[in-house]
Amino acid sequence: GHPWCRGCGGEALIYVKLISSDGHEFIVKREHVLTSETIKTMLSGPGHFAENKTNEVNFREIPSHVLSKVCMYFTYKIQYTNSSKEIPEFPIAPEIPLELLMAVNFLDC
Amino acid sequence: MRSRTIGELLAPAAPFDKKCGRENWTVAFAPDGSYFAWSQGHRTVKLVPWSQCLKNFLLHGTKNITNSSSLRLSRQNSDGGQKNKPREHIIDCGDIVWSLAFGSSVPEKQSRCVNIEWHRFRFGQDQLLLATGLNNGRIKIWDVYTGKLLLNLVDHTEVVRDLTFAPDGSLILVSASRDKTLRVWDLKDDGNMMKVLRGHQNWVYSCAFSPDSSMLCSVGASKAVFLWNMDKYTMIRKLEGHHHDVVACDFSPDGALLATASYDTRVYIWDPHTGAILMEFGHLFPPPTPIFAGGANDRWVRSVSFSHDGLHVASLADDKMVRFWRIDEDYPVQVAPLSNGLCCAFSTDGSVLAAGTHDGSVYFWATPRQVPSLQHLCRMSIRRVMPTQEVQELPVPSKVLEFLSYRV
Repeated sequence: GHPWCRGCGGEALIYVKLISSDGHEFIVKREHVLTSETIKTMLSGPGHFAENKTNEVNFREIPSHVLSKVCMYFTYKIQYTNSSKEIPEFPIAPEIPLELLMAVNFLDC
Repeated sequence: MRSRTIGELLAPAAPFDKKCGRENWTVAFAPDGSYFAWSQGHRTVKLVPWSQCLKNFLLHGTKNITNSSSLRLSRQNSDGGQKNKPREHIIDCGDIVWSLAFGSSVPEKQSRCVNIEWHRFRFGQDQLLLATGLNNGRIKIWDVYTGKLLLNLVDHTEVVRDLTFAPDGSLILVSASRDKTLRVWDLKDDGNMMKVLRGHQNWVYSCAFSPDSSMLCSVGASKAVFLWNMDKYTMIRKLEGHHHDVVACDFSPDGALLATASYDTRVYIWDPHTGAILMEFGHLFPPPTPIFAGGANDRWVRSVSFSHDGLHVASLADDKMVRFWRIDEDYPVQVAPLSNGLCCAFSTDGSVLAAGTHDGSVYFWATPRQVPSLQHLCRMSIRRVMPTQEVQELPVPSKVLEFLSYRV
């Protein structure tokens, strides 16, 4: 079994693993990654993708500096959706927005 | 669908002489969110510390709208001991006030995201100024912290209908007047008038700077919408499309979009870099024919304001409604009733919309707020520094190009 999930085989796993093109692994709550329509489809498809069985998704075209930002956005989105708190600015460093946009366009989030 | 009101500031009643006439053509928030100003009629402008205002609204709640006394901003002010605490001021301008604008020597947050050079002059502390445009064409500049008059700018021969400061902290002020001109003033140089912008054939109603301070939009009677290059002070282009007087304009926070409001009942969203109309928000259905739109009707749109998330626009029309629109939807996402509304402005943090009415009162609503998509956040980040022409050259799929150009 996986040390980082509550239990396998039938039970809903609370974490998934996202792997960047340069081999970095990001362990993120399943609830968070469902922000991305694409990942949601990948994880719930009827055995179409190999990822469905292992709760891992390999992003062969998304480098870690982009994927890490995407994971940060997932947290930001969950934290401030349906919350009465002030929504702070989400910082995007000037070097990455275009690369990030391409990845996010694919991920649909 | 109905907006949540959070408070109101009512115009003072007696013992003011009602014959003086009430006016509330503008409301404004200071760039750092510290103050809120509005012309409450009788030639006076009231300046209130915004956080205090909000606290009062939250204390009294919004349920008893009929019991207006509980929502009235009371005069129990800061205690005498703390000198640096922002204080309430009432400024007597000596003439009917048509326009207001706050100016700061600190660049606005949006400006700081752009790679521009700015010089910061410290006059002991950062300056926060309030410019007031008057009926006789004069412009008075006040120090917000002390309430004192600093400068008196005399040159316009008619009503100064709108004022706007460059958001880069340079304290460059632009005034728009019924005398058909706009004037550019340098407040760091004792209010020296640097340039007269000529081109309007009729009254100029409003003006707005792009967030990077490079462009100015001016709108006016006879369907006029002009864009000016503010490095060379030349006209870039005329935007054609409205069928009647254009009375308000505002840029989106990334400068990629320009909203204009007209008496032809429409708000148009333009791409200021190409002059193309991207979206249209109608306030009358079916849309009026050009002949009707060119004449009098009860759907004149008076004011338009872009929210800070770059996704929402607020409009104020004569049909007694305030509408919040999303730029990707044809119908308003929220509406609120408002009679005799003349102007609206979002608070500095975008959480509140203030609207001023003909009788000198101001009403406030909580704005529709949601976490923007990461795609939109990237788009704004890119568009802050890239005009449409440059976007077209990017080596990206056409679907992404369309999205970046706001053409979806």
